[in-house]
Amino acid sequence: MAALLSPKHTPYFLFVHFPIGKKVSIIKIRRMEASAPVAAPFAAETMGLTKRYPLTWKRKVLVALDHLDLQIHPGEVFGLLGPNGSGKSTTLKLLLGLIVPSEGEARIFGLPTDSLEARRRVGFLPENPYFYGFLNGDETLRFYGKLCGVTGPKLDQRIEELIDLVGLQNGRERPLRSYSKGMLQRIGLAQALIHDPDLLFLDEPTAGVDPLGSAQIRDLILRLKKMGKTVIFSSHLLEQVQEVADRVAIFSLGKKVLEGSLESLLTESRSTQINFPAELSAEQQQRLREALGQAGIEARDIHFTRPHLSLEQLYLRTVQAQPDPTPKNPAGP
Amino acid sequence: MISSLNRIIVIGRNTLTEAVRQKVLNVLLIFSLVLVGSSVSVSQLATPGLDSAGMFDAQIKFVKDFGCGAIGLFGFCIALLSTAQLIPQELHNRTIYTILAKPVRRSEFLLGKFFGIVLLVALCVALMSLAFAATLYWQEVQGIHATDAIYNQNPNWRANPDAVNAYNHEIQEIVQQTRDPQLIEAVLLIFAKLILTTGIALLISTFATSSIFTIITTFMIYLIGHMESTAREFWLASGASASIWQSSLVGFISLLIPDMNSFTIVDEILAGNKVPWSHVMNLLGYADVYLIVVLAVSIVIFDYREI
Repeated sequence: MAALLSPKHTPYFLFVHFPIGKKVSIIKIRRMEASAPVAAPFAAETMGLTKRYPLTWKRKVLVALDHLDLQIHPGEVFGLLGPNGSGKSTTLKLLLGLIVPSEGEARIFGLPTDSLEARRRVGFLPENPYFYGFLNGDETLRFYGKLCGVTGPKLDQRIEELIDLVGLQNGRERPLRSYSKGMLQRIGLAQALIHDPDLLFLDEPTAGVDPLGSAQIRDLILRLKKMGKTVIFSSHLLEQVQEVADRVAIFSLGKKVLEGSLESLLTESRSTQINFPAELSAEQQQRLREALGQAGIEARDIHFTRPHLSLEQLYLRTVQAQPDPTPKNPAGP
Repeated sequence: MISSLNRIIVIGRNTLTEAVRQKVLNVLLIFSLVLVGSSVSVSQLATPGLDSAGMFDAQIKFVKDFGCGAIGLFGFCIALLSTAQLIPQELHNRTIYTILAKPVRRSEFLLGKFFGIVLLVALCVALMSLAFAATLYWQEVQGIHATDAIYNQNPNWRANPDAVNAYNHEIQEIVQQTRDPQLIEAVLLIFAKLILTTGIALLISTFATSSIFTIITTFMIYLIGHMESTAREFWLASGASASIWQSSLVGFISLLIPDMNSFTIVDEILAGNKVPWSHVMNLLGYADVYLIVVLAVSIVIFDYREI
């Protein structure tokens, strides 16, 4: 009953009166006015979502996803983590209505996942997409735009914006079969955004992409977040997830085993880190120990370490520092 | 409704573009070369015991048989191979996910793909028919030249009214044979048969896991479709001699598999027999009804398919 009266279901009262001996019945349907303010729906919500695949020959059932409860707020960047076969892609496919759940329910902005209304509000980049190799970048975006009902000057304008956003000016006229992996991912992102969806599903958006391309996709996710989009993505690159996600869920063997904000999950509540922009000498370290000792902190609890760059940070810093070999303005006579 | 139709058109056009850019139409070049080559070679053959008119009749008959047969065969290959790899390729390349994640119904996707192949087959049949018509025209010109050459052996033949009548009659015969309007009926029936094959291949590909399965199964159905009328005549017409099981089986197959043999009426047209338009329309109507049923079943199966 509580579920029936929850704000996500439209509450109806149904009175049915069947007079005995008559075929005609009187049916009155009256919509009940909600007394409490209706909360905005979640961008994506799953309730006991389960997917089983019967393995007929082995007389077994493979549980790809087991009773998943998830609530993702609008404007959030949500990371799905887990090893291969842990249920991340299945979750995305169920949320997109591409496969039917064996049990449970999923909703997109309060709408059934297989409804056209829900699909108008989502964009999807599958893992390792190929797209149509015979189309060029412009044609690909035009094709997907028309499928979403975007046409005419609006579509032209949208294509210009997205080509700029994903930085694919050099791929507009080239057939997709000649694209690199990173370019394919970027055109994939552009097609997912062609109808300006509120929610984006990205399945391994940086898989197989070089670190620079990977960083560009990460920056793009951050820009989408600033634009107010909700992004749900799966990835194996934990450091990247850490850089962009507000919250994560970790999956294992089809089950969600951990969920929370990165802030709450990663913060060591029992220690404090102080950073200085210079290396401390032994003498400076000793004086600091004494000062902290006077503040009641025991000397054996104080550790001095030098912060490390991640390999990705080092790579990006090195590659981006290289001068661009292509001349910006060829010198004229 | 209109937006649904637009989506079907967008997917259909994309399917046609794919086939054209992947050079499927190059097959037609082979068709044209084979047709022209055979036509030229047959015109150089002398058939013993036939006069010039009889010789020309034999040549035209050969070109018509060969042309219609080649349109059917090449069209069959294009329709079957293109349809069989439609869905497996979409699944393999994961493009189907990007399309079905958009506001596109599965039925629209399937119908779009089907109409794309119909457009492709229509384009191929139209181009092959043009090549066929050009070959027939070339035969007509050759025939008229040959007749002129025979009559010009006597320089004064135009002074003889009987000779002029005979000449005009021969020329009229040639033109009648090469510009036979019944050939339009033949091409339409071949096209209907090809589209029926496309529909069956699409239905199978909605549940098949590989293109090979679709190709082999469609081919088997195509063969059974050609044989079922013979079986029906044999078992159903023999009445008491057929068991209830045999009769039921043939009846069931007749319902399930289209009677492809009814389209061999094309042979009658090529033999020079008159086939009324009403009969052609009946056959086209039969193909339409069967196609609607096949597409409806395909949509239901594809709706339930896990992708």
